[in-house]
Amino acid sequence: MKVAYWPGCVSRGFTPELHGSMAKVAPLLDIELVELNRANCCGAGVIAEHSQELADTLNARTFALAQKEIEQGADLMMNICSTCQGAQGECQERLDASAEYRAEVNKHLTPEGLEYAKGLVNKNFLWVLVEELGLDELAKRVKRPLTDLKVGPFYGCYIVRPTDRLGIDDENPRDTYLEQVIETLGGTVVDYSGAQKCCGFPISLMQKETSMRMAGQNLGEAKDQGADCLVTPCPLCHLNLDMQQPVVSKTIGRDLQMPVLHLPQMVGLALGMDPKELGLGKHVVKPTSVIDWTTSVVGSVGALSAA
Amino acid sequence: MSTIENTDATEAKPEGLQEFTLRLRRYDPESGQAPYFEEFQIELEPHRSVLDGILQAKAKEDGSIGVRCSCRAAICGSCGTRINDKPGLACHTHLDEALKRSKDGKITIEPLGNMPVIKDLIVDMDAVHWKKQARVTPWLLPKEPLPEREHIVPRESMVDVTQSMACIQCGACVSDCLSMEIDPLFVGPAALAKAYRFVGDPRDSRHAERLSNLAEDPHGIYACTHCFKCIEACPKGVAPMSQIMRLRRIASQDHHINDRNNGERHEMAIVNSVKKYGTLNEAKMVPDSYGGPLAPAAAKELVASLPVITKALLRRKVTPKTALFHHKNPDQAQIKRIYQEVQGREQRLELNLYITQPDEDPAELAAHEAHVAEAAAHDAAEQAERAATNQTEAGA
Amino acid sequence: MPAHDVLIIGAGLAGQRAALAAADAGATVAIMSKVHPVRSHSVAAAGGINAAINPADDWRSHAFDTVKGSDYLGDQDAIEVMTSEAPGEIMYLEHIGVTFHRNETGHLDLRAFGGASMKRTAYVADITGQAILHVLYEQLMKYSDRVDRYEEWFNTSLLRGDNGRCEGVVARNIRTGEMQTFTAKTTILATGGVGQAFKPTTNGLICTGDGMSLAYRSGARLMDMEMIQYHPTTMTANGFLITEGARGEGAHLRNANGERFMVESAPNKMELASRDVVSRAEQKEINEGRGTGPLKDSVLLDVTVVPKNRVLEALREIVNLGRDFAGIDITKEPIPVRPGQHYTMGGVKTDVDGETDIPGLYAAGEVACVSVHGGNRLGANSLLDTLIFGRRSGEHAAKVAASMAMPKVSDAQLRDDAKQIAAIIDRPRTGRRVSEIKEELGESMNKYCAVFRDEEGMTKGAEVVNRLQEEAKTAYIDDKGTVFNQDVLGALELGFMLDCSEAIVKAALERKESRGAHSRTDFTERNDEDWLFHLTVERDGDGAAKLGQAPVTITQWQPMERTY
Repeated sequence: MKVAYWPGCVSRGFTPELHGSMAKVAPLLDIELVELNRANCCGAGVIAEHSQELADTLNARTFALAQKEIEQGADLMMNICSTCQGAQGECQERLDASAEYRAEVNKHLTPEGLEYAKGLVNKNFLWVLVEELGLDELAKRVKRPLTDLKVGPFYGCYIVRPTDRLGIDDENPRDTYLEQVIETLGGTVVDYSGAQKCCGFPISLMQKETSMRMAGQNLGEAKDQGADCLVTPCPLCHLNLDMQQPVVSKTIGRDLQMPVLHLPQMVGLALGMDPKELGLGKHVVKPTSVIDWTTSVVGSVGALSAA
Repeated sequence: MSTIENTDATEAKPEGLQEFTLRLRRYDPESGQAPYFEEFQIELEPHRSVLDGILQAKAKEDGSIGVRCSCRAAICGSCGTRINDKPGLACHTHLDEALKRSKDGKITIEPLGNMPVIKDLIVDMDAVHWKKQARVTPWLLPKEPLPEREHIVPRESMVDVTQSMACIQCGACVSDCLSMEIDPLFVGPAALAKAYRFVGDPRDSRHAERLSNLAEDPHGIYACTHCFKCIEACPKGVAPMSQIMRLRRIASQDHHINDRNNGERHEMAIVNSVKKYGTLNEAKMVPDSYGGPLAPAAAKELVASLPVITKALLRRKVTPKTALFHHKNPDQAQIKRIYQEVQGREQRLELNLYITQPDEDPAELAAHEAHVAEAAAHDAAEQAERAATNQTEAGA
Repeated sequence: MPAHDVLIIGAGLAGQRAALAAADAGATVAIMSKVHPVRSHSVAAAGGINAAINPADDWRSHAFDTVKGSDYLGDQDAIEVMTSEAPGEIMYLEHIGVTFHRNETGHLDLRAFGGASMKRTAYVADITGQAILHVLYEQLMKYSDRVDRYEEWFNTSLLRGDNGRCEGVVARNIRTGEMQTFTAKTTILATGGVGQAFKPTTNGLICTGDGMSLAYRSGARLMDMEMIQYHPTTMTANGFLITEGARGEGAHLRNANGERFMVESAPNKMELASRDVVSRAEQKEINEGRGTGPLKDSVLLDVTVVPKNRVLEALREIVNLGRDFAGIDITKEPIPVRPGQHYTMGGVKTDVDGETDIPGLYAAGEVACVSVHGGNRLGANSLLDTLIFGRRSGEHAAKVAASMAMPKVSDAQLRDDAKQIAAIIDRPRTGRRVSEIKEELGESMNKYCAVFRDEEGMTKGAEVVNRLQEEAKTAYIDDKGTVFNQDVLGALELGFMLDCSEAIVKAALERKESRGAHSRTDFTERNDEDWLFHLTVERDGDGAAKLGQAPVTITQWQPMERTY
């Protein structure tokens, strides 16, 4: 499978381990990444808040670039960020809804010979795993099941709401994919109340305390339910849940020490990759130092090699 | 002739009855006991509502079940409840749908969240919801003197506020608001949607005051965490979060309110970063949002963030190079031009899908138009015929 | 003990409008409602509100249409007041913030409605009642320092002083169960209709005739109670209302053969004839076997002939109703409808200032009978009625209150009411369930007092009502608590509904002609010679309903044959 790949800003900025791990995991899944290095920021919902037309035009530009790659043989556009998925999806919904509006937006792209045509398929890596690759295929590639690793899913708001815009329905229960992937990789899903809540990131610079408390509540709930770590398809959530975790801990007065994996990292671990190779050492809360790898992942490796 | 029987479906035996189990959260404040769950078996057609189910249990089994309801048609807003953990109107949720969403074949019904429970499914709306409504000066403050007749306003403007006017004050959005869960003082989705109803109304004369009041409030428009919960919860398509985003847009763009919550600066920091680099430069977000690298607030926040920054550097998450020299998009000129074109417009170009419905399939649209035209032509012909007959009759 | 110049019971459009008017007139005001004001059933009014605001229109034309719609039973002086004051009232609403839809020039847009000789219905999509109700509540919040709100208080009795005046009420705080006597120089009933005595009905569960019954028990006369409106377009699936605005926008009605059957009974106005005419035509199709659906109990409302963009803009709510409650996309296929109970034209007899037979007691809105609707109300005249007579009652009550002293009342009635409530709670489970009786009442009324009526059926209906009245005396409930004991309120409401039902059936049996919504198969013609007067119902010494007559006021429009 070949995808027009939009890594997003944060995966190349403050969470470089996300982009890095995605690049390393992709070949193991037979996904060829054609990076859209001329594409632009999705606006993270904030540019749409500032100006709808600006956000729609910027994303139409990214979509048009992706469609050029699709013309050249890519199957679809793929992103690795819940926020990109949601913010781009919102713009795409408007662009696809009205030919008149789309034409107006496309006017801004004409000088460079770009044009967005209705109907782009743009999927987060999570959706690609389940809908394009398939869980059976994924299972086949597991070399080191995440046995005994208790994982709390953390989706990020943008990829679970609103359900109709995101195409979440009985046919595509995209709000359960993280759980499905965790189980496919041999891990144990931790059921806790925070899985589809907000990490607090969007207000981290406006209402810092509320933001930190939101992150803290989710991390704390996961800890209470016995999670070894969280996994998220959203680098912005990762910033609040991992990078800010020391501040979060201080704000809520609780030592959390909850590692947070990026989705490709978790996949990579199960596919047999080395934690360090996946950039797990770059996290503020180092999963390598917190998780008892002998009883979870590493233990199973032993089990595998013994067999 | 004997008694007239006005034919009525209620006389016929309804077909396709199905049994459902409702698991109701009960709470009796007079009992001194904690809330508990109680199950009721009801029998109804699957397309009937969860409220019909509750009312059947109440009528046949236990009249003490407390639930507010009246219209049964999703307009009075009384029956806001949480069904299988999702807020909504009990009358607006089909039993079969609810069953499908249940985890164990039983439909769980609980009172709304974020508000104190009075009894069973009845919550104290006054303590939270209505108090917050009152917070936004929820009445029109028109320009004086009033016109003799109606205000003359653009047709679109009244259609535009129809979306926020569609709010039935059911509290579903308040129930699920994640900001309010953490910050109970947050003005909240319903009240802010109400605020837009005035800020979006050209007849109101206090847009600037309303906006600056809500922008400066630490629990105002910039305390919304953009989680889409309210959009998902609203049974009427009000999309409160979208109204909050419009309040922010108008506050920063039309009224240039440079609020103390960093709201406007944060917005501009992202907008300008993309304008300059094509991508987000996270390293600049903190200083820019706090008023620029030299602003005292920014310095304070940077100092406070030092442990985090240090750790990020130590882990080689961030290198000084990536932090200080942000990569520029090779097509930056193109992006700048888009900015100039869009920002150069006199009037914002916006598409609200609540009002503008998605394009129809052209063939279907043509068929519909032909159908309407045909019906109209047919009517006209019939009318002409009637007129002719009348005339003939009159003549005779 | 709370004491106010003006106390208003009920907080729908009539009640809230009365409160604002009384406060503007300088009175101290309280408004009490058994539900939060925005839950009041005015919220469900969809289509719009009539007023001759088009310069080419004239209130006299509106008045005539209303008189004709009433089948000449409406009092023309009252109709003149309502229609001539209508444009001013619309402007008031616009000024306080109602978001009426505009036309291309930015002026109020008007839509067509049934029985109207021209477009004169102002509207907010198809949520006009909701929009106005919520805007009035905005004003009540603004008036917080001048209007005391008692939300979720249930009125159990009216107080009558030795001088015969109404001097306040007794009410129960639903949240706490606490009983309280309220003193008031004047009291305005604005409690709505009694649709819940019928099943199905478009009315909310709260429409239980409380004010009609309380006034009747206190000695006031009810009037025109036989006149029950069946709305032509209620969804067969569940009885929900589909606004007349749909037909106003051009929708058609068809029978099983696809025929626009309205051509028979209203060749000119077709679907936009008066509601009684359309409902009868539909019921005729159904009774004669030309209905659609598995039970052949419906006709089809075809909205597909209305341009889709207009439907989505102006009829959004019924698109939702069709989709969510019947699984039908009304822009693509017709929806099965049939006549369903919708409105009580009758109510507490008042004059044009809302004054009832009892000094100090007013009534406005559906609870009242001025009578502006006579035998049949025109669509979009009900919102107007509530606002005009709500305001006039509020103003008049405030004026009267200004020149009198606060009455002194005792808690005697409170003790009686508290005892009665305690007795209901204590009833043994030997009788029937309250809910069961209510169910039987609704089904019986809908069977015997519907679109078509006759002696035999109504006699049966009367017998059922009498029997249920007896059974209600021992009917039991489950809830023994005080906090939000909705069960005991249900028992009280059942009593209210039975009072009203008795009045409806008695008056309907009495009127031996067909007029407006009262259509008898044994007396098929209107008979002005013998029946051009109002029937009144009052309670006699034994507690039974006693019939009387009141003249119809005719100013400029002599009764004529009614064709559409």
